[in-house]
Amino acid sequence: MSIALRDKLMLMVAVLLAAVYLFPLYWMYVTALKTGSAMFASPPSFWPSDPQWSIYGSVWQSRNVGRYLWNSFVIASGAVSLIVILGTGCAYVLARYRNAWVDVGLFLILMLQVLPASLMITPIFVGFSQLGLLDYPRVAVILAIAAKSMPFFVVLVRAAFMSVPMELEEAALVDGNSRFGAFFHIVLPLARNGILVSAILIFMQAFGEFVYSKSMIQAIEYQPASVGLNSFMGPNTNEWNNIMAYAAMYVTPILAIFVLLQRRIVSGLTSGALK
Amino acid sequence: MRRLLLSIRDGRGFDIGLVSVPLIFLFAMAGLPLIYNIVMSFQEVDMFSLGTFARPFVGFKNYITLFSQPETWPILGNTAIFVVASIAGQFTIGFALALFFWTGFPGSSWLRGLFLVSWVMPGLVVGAIWNWILSGDFGVLNFLLKESGLVSANIFWRSDPNFSLWAVVIANIWLGISFNMILLSVGLSAIPQDLYEAAELDGANVVQRFYTITLPMMRSSIGALVALGLIFTLQQFDLFAAITAGGPNNSSNVAQYWAWDLSFRQYDFAQGATISVIMIVFVMFASVVYVRSTRHEVRG
Repeated sequence: MSIALRDKLMLMVAVLLAAVYLFPLYWMYVTALKTGSAMFASPPSFWPSDPQWSIYGSVWQSRNVGRYLWNSFVIASGAVSLIVILGTGCAYVLARYRNAWVDVGLFLILMLQVLPASLMITPIFVGFSQLGLLDYPRVAVILAIAAKSMPFFVVLVRAAFMSVPMELEEAALVDGNSRFGAFFHIVLPLARNGILVSAILIFMQAFGEFVYSKSMIQAIEYQPASVGLNSFMGPNTNEWNNIMAYAAMYVTPILAIFVLLQRRIVSGLTSGALK
Repeated sequence: MRRLLLSIRDGRGFDIGLVSVPLIFLFAMAGLPLIYNIVMSFQEVDMFSLGTFARPFVGFKNYITLFSQPETWPILGNTAIFVVASIAGQFTIGFALALFFWTGFPGSSWLRGLFLVSWVMPGLVVGAIWNWILSGDFGVLNFLLKESGLVSANIFWRSDPNFSLWAVVIANIWLGISFNMILLSVGLSAIPQDLYEAAELDGANVVQRFYTITLPMMRSSIGALVALGLIFTLQQFDLFAAITAGGPNNSSNVAQYWAWDLSFRQYDFAQGATISVIMIVFVMFASVVYVRSTRHEVRG
């Protein structure tokens, strides 16, 4: 068997595997376009014969999707800003030095990374309600998400800082820069891409966050899209085409960012996750 | 004062400032809740005492009540089944896919990256899609299983107590495959190729090469990944909320969902905190294994 033929065969199998794996996503988009009766047809059709494009407009209106997505966006942006401002400097220091204190700090950060949100929400909720923070539910959720995701960000960005040669910073110091100046003018621009990719990853996670928002945001006008989707799915629902349309509107922006930045996101993830 | 300012601009103070603010924030938002959680698990907490710090201490009463409840052991058993089955499924399929893509062909790295789509999707969306796929009468999975002759009647994945936990396991395996595959691919690409060439010259076949080179060389990657899988499966909450909500009759309930359910559905914050403490001890143990298995890489 020639190499070219083998490559073609492997590629075909790989495409097939990817198609099987991504079938749930395809099923979401197809179901969203089906009519109420086509959805429950047996056998199910795998291609929408009569696509109902108007469903997106009607779900957007009836479920107030715009407001939910806006809240998700506000919460995710707030959490990412806080994480980037606080986490970048922390990652830089942890990358620059190598001593026992740094080891202790890294160990603590890795330990914090693993605490499950659904277990931490009980003390956070009680504590926040005592401090009166629950009167500002979106701020409370932003703080909680920032604490949850910052360790992951620090681990990823630390890997980015590690790849910036220390000699460059030393040269800048010799040239008369202060530590402050060297950090902002030399090191930060060089690590910019890594920081950006990590921030996007954290943003995607925060955009889909559920536990904290569900527990702390009671007022419907502040709830993000994940909570909205949850309340849309009652125990005996049969509006699956509407739910899938909602899910499609929620997930498509994230998928678009992912496909555009796929190579960078994958390499950013792999550089940090196992190190 | 001047010296302090100078140090912050251009000296040790710069580093200390950069690192101490985030650490204080993390301590306030993660460390203090952790301690508070332990305190609450030894207190009597109800809706009336929620707003005050001075609550009566009750010793180990919450723990005793917890373990005298009839549902406690089945739920802990479910948690164990969920974790073991999820990790086994994710790891096996992920490893098989990683080995397949490792053979290298045009487009392989791009296609492999496409799998990671599941990782960036909101958990609730994944749960909603699987909820629909697993639906009893009209679910597409039941249709495929019946067409292929694997089952003769519809399986009611979400409402049959024998299957409800497995419904979430299936969704969680789907979710975790991509992550396992990507991390195993990283480990595979770090194995030097000349080892395989030497073994091939010595006449080792594919299976022998796998058991004598691939597996031993991957040992630290696999250890880290299994620990990471344990951490991630114990964090899984969204799929339970979106697919079964722990039901029917706790048959698909696991500890991390139960803790939330007790606190926020039944307003029994003390019991919720007690389960949280027990589970956090487990997670901490897993993370020590994880940190240890990646320690040499952490130190660079």
